[in-house]
Amino acid sequence: MLEAFANFGLSWLDPWLLMLTAAGTLAGIYVGAIPGLSVTMATSILISFTFKWPVNDALALIAGVFVGGVYGGSRTAILLNIPGAPSAIATAIEGYPMAKRGEAGDAIGLTTVMSVVGGFVGIAALAMFAPVISSFALMFNSRDYLLLGLIGILLVGTLSGESFAKGAFAGALGVLIGMVGLDPMTAEGRFTFGTISLMGGIPYVAAMIGFFGVAEALVQLQTLDVPAIKQRIDRVIPRIADIKRYFWLAIRASGIGTIIGALPGTGGDIAALLAYDDARRSVKDPEVPFGEGAKEGLVAPEAANNAAVGGAFIPMLTLGIPGDAVTAVIIGALFIHGLKPGPLMLVETPHLFWFTVGNLALANIFLLIFGLTGIRIFTKIVECPKAILIPLIIVLSAVGTYAIENNPVHIYWMLLFGVVGYFLKTYGFQVGPIILGVILGPMMDSNYRRAMIGARGDIGEFFWNFVSHPISLILSICFVLMIVSQTPLWSRLLKAVRIKRP
Amino acid sequence: MSGQSTRRPGELAFICLLVLFSAAALWQAYSISGFTGLSQPGVFPMLAAATMLVSCCFILRDTLRTRSSREPGHRAAFWRDVLPVRLLVMLAMVGIYLYAMPWLGFVIASGLFLFACFAYLWRKSFLISLILAATSLAAVYFLFRIVFEVVLPQGTLLPAGVF
Repeated sequence: MLEAFANFGLSWLDPWLLMLTAAGTLAGIYVGAIPGLSVTMATSILISFTFKWPVNDALALIAGVFVGGVYGGSRTAILLNIPGAPSAIATAIEGYPMAKRGEAGDAIGLTTVMSVVGGFVGIAALAMFAPVISSFALMFNSRDYLLLGLIGILLVGTLSGESFAKGAFAGALGVLIGMVGLDPMTAEGRFTFGTISLMGGIPYVAAMIGFFGVAEALVQLQTLDVPAIKQRIDRVIPRIADIKRYFWLAIRASGIGTIIGALPGTGGDIAALLAYDDARRSVKDPEVPFGEGAKEGLVAPEAANNAAVGGAFIPMLTLGIPGDAVTAVIIGALFIHGLKPGPLMLVETPHLFWFTVGNLALANIFLLIFGLTGIRIFTKIVECPKAILIPLIIVLSAVGTYAIENNPVHIYWMLLFGVVGYFLKTYGFQVGPIILGVILGPMMDSNYRRAMIGARGDIGEFFWNFVSHPISLILSICFVLMIVSQTPLWSRLLKAVRIKRP
Repeated sequence: MSGQSTRRPGELAFICLLVLFSAAALWQAYSISGFTGLSQPGVFPMLAAATMLVSCCFILRDTLRTRSSREPGHRAAFWRDVLPVRLLVMLAMVGIYLYAMPWLGFVIASGLFLFACFAYLWRKSFLISLILAATSLAAVYFLFRIVFEVVLPQGTLLPAGVF
């Protein structure tokens, strides 16, 4: 216990780690806020720069960027009506009308405080539940990991994309990309076409930076000429009465956010929208109607998306299954540092777990400080024209991809993924499931084969095992339900039930 | 299932390409180990490729159901919305930049690339673009070479150690 506490406080006392966390949080706020830069993009580029660092330093910086970035999106949502990140879409609905009434400062202050409240709820949940889930996860079988991977990819695919088929395609494409190279079990080449450079596999950092960095930059080219709108900001420190009034709403939204964040595959975006929807239904008499600048509608999604950060770390650290695209990238970072996120992580490296918890808490405190200060400089930087931003993103992406293995071929992979990603995005595909597939694919492959070998290659026994073990059965039911709910069969079934019960 | 009612320009062709790609991937996956056993290295790639092919067929069906814009401006819309000149020029510049990097080295290649992009996208004066490119390059160099200690690509054109 004492040791856990010491690790928790490690980044609070070490001046260098303190500085890194602060720098990460500050950078995260700007990255999240500037439309065109995303947290996922920043984290994937950062990983390639920090992989030579000691693991604590790298984690401190990345945790700061994550926490700051999730919050940062709200600022541009309020000031410019452009959500800096998808998790701030609901914030824009209520925040921008407030800004138009001249209450931008008020809105920013309230979102900052409530984001911090949400953040702490998420972290508390991480600290309390992760050890429990982790010891439970030790009972998980290779079948269960296969199912968890499938569920994670499908959830991201179905909830964020245009259609289920497009999500499934993106996830499978990612798995396929992850399969390229020598098979880890038999050292047989897969999709290598006899070339040596493909035997090592396609570097997933190149895929991440390509899909999230270059492709996004190319998409942003379309909106180069959209002018920014300026807002006047006066007071940023929120009123105590407001905080008291919305505190319980924030706690409730944080609960939703934590749970949604903890589900594999769902992250802050969905958490924010669900919490907003919940607030709209549960708040009976808002001061201002929803959609016209209701503070309730601002508090709920912001508390929820920051709570989802702590939530998303739960499956990532305990099961090795990322909660969303950013945690998928962070898992990549942990792999690079030689760590294996999963149920054994808390047993083998408990100090890293407590360090991460302490770090997230610290980043939240910095969020409060930076969130309530420096607004004036902020508005100047956010107005940075995209004509400057886009070439810089491309240069950073190139350096980042090269830095991992100093291999120029990886840069060409990055460009290829960038162009493919551009077309996929243009035609309504999501790139999140692809990255999840790339990261989870090899894990799912080896678990599938272990399960199959465990069933002695008998397909009947293989499927029987999925229903005869309680954990596998529950996960199998979830998986099947997820697929069935996307087919026309489901709506027919619902109709039939409704007719029976008029 | 798909919410959209009109087809985006070039969408059908792109989906057809994806179907072909998935089929080729499935064939490649089959050639890894065929149907020799259920725990062979080729099984999971085959499952992934089959999923791609099946979902692609569904996407193709959905796309065929959408209203195609048969107006005369259809082809023009593709070049305006999907592949505008600006994007093509940018892609060409990125291609040249990445192709030239092993030869010119990171610093020179990036400097030229940034300058060309700023001049093309921002359309301010020559001098402003030049200053901006130099400052941002200096910032990138300082942050990554000095602070993060990243190894930047060296060019073969200049003797090693210059940049």
